[in-house]
Amino acid sequence: MAAPARSLELQFPLAWSQPQPAAVPDLHPVESPAESPVRDEVQRLRASLQGTAAAKLMNATELLRAIEKSRRDETIPTTLAPFDQLLGGGLPRGKMVELTGRAGAGRFSIVLSSLAAATSMGEAAVLIDLGDHLDPQLAEANGVDLRRLLWIRPKTLKQAVMSAEMIAATGFQLVVLDAGLHPVRGRRVPDAAWVRLARSAEAHGAAMLISTPYPLTGTASEAVVSASQSRARWLGKGKSPRILAGTTSELRLEKHRHQKAGTRATLSPEMLP
Amino acid sequence: MTTRIACIFVPMFPLAARLRSEPELLNEAVAIVEGNGAGAHIVAATRRARSKAIKPGLSLAQARSIVPKLIARMRDTECERTAQEALVEVAETFSPRVEDAGEGLVFIDVSGLERHFPSELDLGKAVVRAADDVGLPARCGIAASKLAARVAAEVPNSPTVVEAGKEAEFLAPLPLARLTPALDAATTLHRWGLSSIGDLARLPESEVAARLGAIGRELHYAARGVDPRPLIPRPVPQEFREGMELEWPLVALEPFLFIASSGLDRLSKRMELQGFACKRLELTMMLEPDGFHSRAIDLPAPTRDVKTMLTLLRLDLEKTPPGAPVVGFSLVAHPDRPRRAQLSLFGPAALSPEKLATTIAKLVSMLGEDRVGMPMTVDNHLPDRYAIGDFTPPPPPEMRRGPRNSAGLLAARVFRPPIPVEVTTRPSREHEPGEIQIESIEGEGDLAGTVRTSSGPWHVEQGWWNATPADRAYWDAELMRGKSYRMYRDGERWFVEAGYD
Repeated sequence: MAAPARSLELQFPLAWSQPQPAAVPDLHPVESPAESPVRDEVQRLRASLQGTAAAKLMNATELLRAIEKSRRDETIPTTLAPFDQLLGGGLPRGKMVELTGRAGAGRFSIVLSSLAAATSMGEAAVLIDLGDHLDPQLAEANGVDLRRLLWIRPKTLKQAVMSAEMIAATGFQLVVLDAGLHPVRGRRVPDAAWVRLARSAEAHGAAMLISTPYPLTGTASEAVVSASQSRARWLGKGKSPRILAGTTSELRLEKHRHQKAGTRATLSPEMLP
Repeated sequence: MTTRIACIFVPMFPLAARLRSEPELLNEAVAIVEGNGAGAHIVAATRRARSKAIKPGLSLAQARSIVPKLIARMRDTECERTAQEALVEVAETFSPRVEDAGEGLVFIDVSGLERHFPSELDLGKAVVRAADDVGLPARCGIAASKLAARVAAEVPNSPTVVEAGKEAEFLAPLPLARLTPALDAATTLHRWGLSSIGDLARLPESEVAARLGAIGRELHYAARGVDPRPLIPRPVPQEFREGMELEWPLVALEPFLFIASSGLDRLSKRMELQGFACKRLELTMMLEPDGFHSRAIDLPAPTRDVKTMLTLLRLDLEKTPPGAPVVGFSLVAHPDRPRRAQLSLFGPAALSPEKLATTIAKLVSMLGEDRVGMPMTVDNHLPDRYAIGDFTPPPPPEMRRGPRNSAGLLAARVFRPPIPVEVTTRPSREHEPGEIQIESIEGEGDLAGTVRTSSGPWHVEQGWWNATPADRAYWDAELMRGKSYRMYRDGERWFVEAGYD
């Protein structure tokens, strides 16, 4: 009987036992046991050093956090100056940017340039090509390192969004989803899917570019850039034969969480020489 | 250096193999049965069944009369074979020189391992632990000869170590039946008045050989602790196999996948022991009433992820079901070395090869093999040609570097296949006589309208030496509405190949 009695006593304090004062919760966050002793040593060492030398001193945990933070704060430039200026330097890591525009507005040129820039930095990139529009020869001429590019050709928008979510979780630093031309293959996906995709990009630090013929992502995007109808530029006048030299289109920042909307820029991609 | 042999022995191997496949039966009264009908008899039983007097040798009817709720399972050769393979693979994690003696018995050459373990007793404990990890309750004996090691492994206090040179001393007090349990000669020797192994060892070898022949000589060697045959190491296996015979036929997918997942889990653990990953998975299903159904799944990259392999198996079975109830299955994994990569601290983030392989496998199962991979150019003059290969990116640079300045080139969206259109042309006024200008395009959707400016033609001719020659005249055309296209004429027909974007 002794054991059950002891357990009862623990569960239900008996009438004659002393009332215990209610425990006051400690609201101070508990320091990580792995870091605190090391941090103390680093702080002591910092205190013994001069100003500039002390500022440079950090332990391994701080170094890893600093590297991780610097990676998150960075952007992946597309090296297309008008587009980068609109976004404040390029595609932000951990964020989703939507680029809208009808056929011929220059969206695919921006897509290839961003892939070229990312792969030239040594990053692995993904193109989710819903319309199956990629020409590998042209991409290579544009500077895309094909060895670092994963090409996914889904059949519906739902498959494309699912692929993007899977890929972002794998560790790719640039995920480009090109929804092709109007009308987009497959039905629309719910807005919640885009929010989830944006969360996935944020969780894994991936820059995500969604290129669509009309706005799809709703409020989930960090920024929305629209590209207007382009005009072709031709070489040759009078009786001489014409040669297509490139196109000119206008970009407009429709929405940005940290910048003023309405900024415009002109995009002028050149024809392959 | 003295040769040291370790023996791993699994008592009641048919039962242990079955319980490895169905661990939920561990605490039940279970008996393994051999034979059919009236000849069905018990060969092994669990501790709970043995406590109720269920012993090997009883007929199934007798056993059922004692314990009506006795769970009877037939001997499963597939289970026993895979359990034996698992046992051999455990042995191979200790030494590459391993002999497979069958029926839950494996010999390992452990000579030279004293540098890795504090003592041979610790080595024996490690062997028992490793066998436990793959679901096999084993005993271990270590001695200088195979026979002494086997006898030591059969002793209940596992692990048992017989010191070098003391094999004969260890064997001497043991009964003759320990030498070879199923030996008729033991009866003859007993009639001679010999009761222990030591009694036999003390007889002159030539006299025993003269009376019992070659078997007598072998027995005498064994009694003195000398191996008549050396350890014969087995070759490295080319595949890993797991399987099971089912008690009743399965007709639904979910119950089958539930059982297959445990088989995949065991395969994955075995491959992990050897440092391998699965590159190709083969499934063979035994169907009712007879026949087999086989399929093979090539994985995009070596993986040990059970979830991925199960997803691929599910998709494949949904696509092409076996068409009859399944009464057994076997899974064969073809091993390959998993991809390894050193992740960089200061360079761009590298992809984890294992994670990448799993993701690509999932994407391939969802979209199809030809829709995921690395884009590749083809040595061809026609712009619509492409190829797709395995995605194996080179390692990222050790230090981060800036992007190369973009060429800022105009991209073209290729239409696959090219879209046929009706084109109206007029003679060119500015250019040479006989040349034409495109006036308008008639096609579906956006591909219609008056042409503002066009230029061309550029001729591309290739393949005139084979059966599919191409002779095209290319044009660039801008519609009045502002869109620009690349078009070509093939004979009398016109196609839009790409749109500039």
